[in-house]
Amino acid sequence: MSTDAPVSTVSFAPVLERKFAGRARPEASGRGDVPTISVDPASLHDVALFLRDDPSTRFDLLLDVASIDRSKLPAEQLPRDGKRFQASYILYSTRRNEHLRVKAAVPEARPSLPSLVDVWPAANWFEREAWDLMGIDFENHPNQKRLLTHNGFVGHALRKDYEAGQRWLCTEEDILQTDLASKTETAEDAFETMTLNFGPSHPATHGTLRAVFRLDGETIVAAEGECGYLHRCFEKMSESHTYSQVIPYTDRLNYCSPMINGNGYARAVEQMLGVEIPPRARAVRVILSEFSRIMDHLVCIAANLVDIGALTNFWFLFQAREEIYGLLEACCGARLTSSYARIGGLSNDVPENFVEWSRRLLVEVKKQVDEVDRLVSRNGIAMKRLRGTGLVTKENAIAWGFTGPCLRASGVPYDLRKDKPYDGYETYDFDIPVMNDGDNYSRYYVRMEEMRQSARIIEQGLSRLPSGPVNSDDYRVVLPPKEMVYNEMEGLIYHFKLVFEGIQVPAGEIYSSTEGANGELGYSIVSDGSGRPYRIKVRPPCFPLFAAFEKMVVGGMVSDAVATLGLLNIIAGELDR
Amino acid sequence: MPAKAVTLTVPELTFWERIYLVEVAKGLFRTMSHLLRNLLPTLKTDAYALFGKLPPAGERSIPTIYYPEEKRNYSNRFRGRHILKKRADDTLRCVACYMCQTACPADCIDIVAGEHPVLAYEKYPVKFEIDLLRCVMCGFCVDACPKDAIWMTRDYELSFFDRKSAVYGIPELTEKPGDTAEGGPGYGYRPYYGASPMRKAGEFQPSGLALMPFLDLRNKAINRMPAPAAPPAAPPAAKPAA
Repeated sequence: MSTDAPVSTVSFAPVLERKFAGRARPEASGRGDVPTISVDPASLHDVALFLRDDPSTRFDLLLDVASIDRSKLPAEQLPRDGKRFQASYILYSTRRNEHLRVKAAVPEARPSLPSLVDVWPAANWFEREAWDLMGIDFENHPNQKRLLTHNGFVGHALRKDYEAGQRWLCTEEDILQTDLASKTETAEDAFETMTLNFGPSHPATHGTLRAVFRLDGETIVAAEGECGYLHRCFEKMSESHTYSQVIPYTDRLNYCSPMINGNGYARAVEQMLGVEIPPRARAVRVILSEFSRIMDHLVCIAANLVDIGALTNFWFLFQAREEIYGLLEACCGARLTSSYARIGGLSNDVPENFVEWSRRLLVEVKKQVDEVDRLVSRNGIAMKRLRGTGLVTKENAIAWGFTGPCLRASGVPYDLRKDKPYDGYETYDFDIPVMNDGDNYSRYYVRMEEMRQSARIIEQGLSRLPSGPVNSDDYRVVLPPKEMVYNEMEGLIYHFKLVFEGIQVPAGEIYSSTEGANGELGYSIVSDGSGRPYRIKVRPPCFPLFAAFEKMVVGGMVSDAVATLGLLNIIAGELDR
Repeated sequence: MPAKAVTLTVPELTFWERIYLVEVAKGLFRTMSHLLRNLLPTLKTDAYALFGKLPPAGERSIPTIYYPEEKRNYSNRFRGRHILKKRADDTLRCVACYMCQTACPADCIDIVAGEHPVLAYEKYPVKFEIDLLRCVMCGFCVDACPKDAIWMTRDYELSFFDRKSAVYGIPELTEKPGDTAEGGPGYGYRPYYGASPMRKAGEFQPSGLALMPFLDLRNKAINRMPAPAAPPAAPPAAKPAA
């Protein structure tokens, strides 16, 4: 573990100082963390406009709004300003390839911040979530109401003084209230429009999502999405578990590609610790992440093709996925709940026949993907269903906070594997497919090409898979080898300390992002120096996608909405956490 | 390294693709070929089924598994039902150190420790329960065990009629010959020995006594126990650990 002192890495500090002297200042950020500035809440809105529009900043993509309750931090880390809550806006500049965290602290007496929905429309749901779970009030928010919890919920669950385990009854009235549905009866134009409820258990939602459409004939004139049906308190639970114990929870985020979540989480904590993992572990993580990405795209495309009527392809693609699951199981011991990554490496080395097995699988996967490509990509019906529907322009995609294949289908070549390479992605030769149309067909076609590129990465990884250990030998982080534990006092002591106290992560915070199958999967972790995370905020890639769904479908047909939802690939597990 | 992004364009349809009819035939041919490739061996499968037999796995091209007659072959890392391993003298290896209980993210293990009559063993679990309805099968208990005492099997058929019977105690968890016998589930997830060159998992018998001869001698002197057949059956005056 190295101990380099935190320094400020904000590139535009002089401009910031000139424009907002005293009201916004750069902060020192820890090892591996993104540049950070801290802003006075009163000038947050002005600073936000500056950050979005100034040529030296151009932070056009709002990635996340992480909130934190700082009241239970240890005495030496308690904020000097005495303000209890803090919101951290994570921004990204697609033109300058730079992340930024903007912090704004508010006191307990009046926890209120100006809403940034008019600056970055993506802030809408993120702010709702922060209000719902942390109780930070956003002035001028257009629709500030509960998001992940239900309307019968009392209190704000992520506050440190909220006692876990309380139960709140959700009555039928609490469920059914959406503005859209209630206004239908009274609105002037109620004649011949009707409200259609879609989900939460509907075969085409592929998960517990709900949307309410207001229809004029079969055209959607207004829509509202609702999530939270699969909320499992991931973030609250992590606060009472050690860093290692969070790993099984990460499997359940995006359950179509669980390996990526675990790898991303482990990497975030490793960055905080300053631990390097051995080259073999890095290569295995890359290979299995790419297999997971292929699986995720297979599920997305297969399920969506079912929705638009191409049932056969589902079986072709799922056969490939089935085979990949076999490989993952042989590595980690479970098909879906992999828990393979460990902080500092992996739980096991890969099986002996890993390389041949993976090569054989790639042949099979490519065969099935090509088969579907031949059946669907140039198919007149599929084109009519997918082309021109669910349109998202480049500007909208950025404003709505899209990342991943959906952003690339709108013409923005942002991929963390190229832009902020991690785990040695810079040494692999692969391309980032981009399309400029921004319709459902682009999202389908980009995914098809991404699977081929992932296969390329896997082939390269397999051909130069390094030998050696898969775990770091820093026994303050990784469990020592069993031989040491069984036979040596020193090993046993490390083992006991790790299990009982957890990995001691130095105090600080980090935003670490991984290219998930659906987009940027970010972990904002705050450590108070103990063995348990003080706060973990996940930036789920689906979240802004589903938030934008209600805007994307307006003007289209209900069946287009189904195709759109399928190709946005909303995974309820990571949407609701 | 080539250009970062490759811009794809929507494929242009040819005349024949636009009028669609030819494409329908081509598509049908493709799916039909899949059907036939699957169907012909399946007919053979049906012939087997007529005589109440399962076809050999190699004779089928569809990946469907004929559960429950046929079961998936999982790897020997599969995380299924837990077992408590035993020492050579038939006592449980577990020393009730609470490591697995602490490591468990689902809080599903419940241990009560007692004092073992064999001094060298010091402690043993009076109660060791795993609530399989809470368990998430993450294998952290196996990783955490400092005594190689808890492993997992490949048994995944865990279904119960009531919640009480899903709580496995020592009798259910103790390793049985059937776990590794022919047709049994077999061992699954077990401690990872890492890069240690000494021995591979499964061959290694942790024996604190062999490495600490003085302790062994002391035990022999103080604690002249008869051949240990009795201890697990009737542990005298089991005191719960503080």
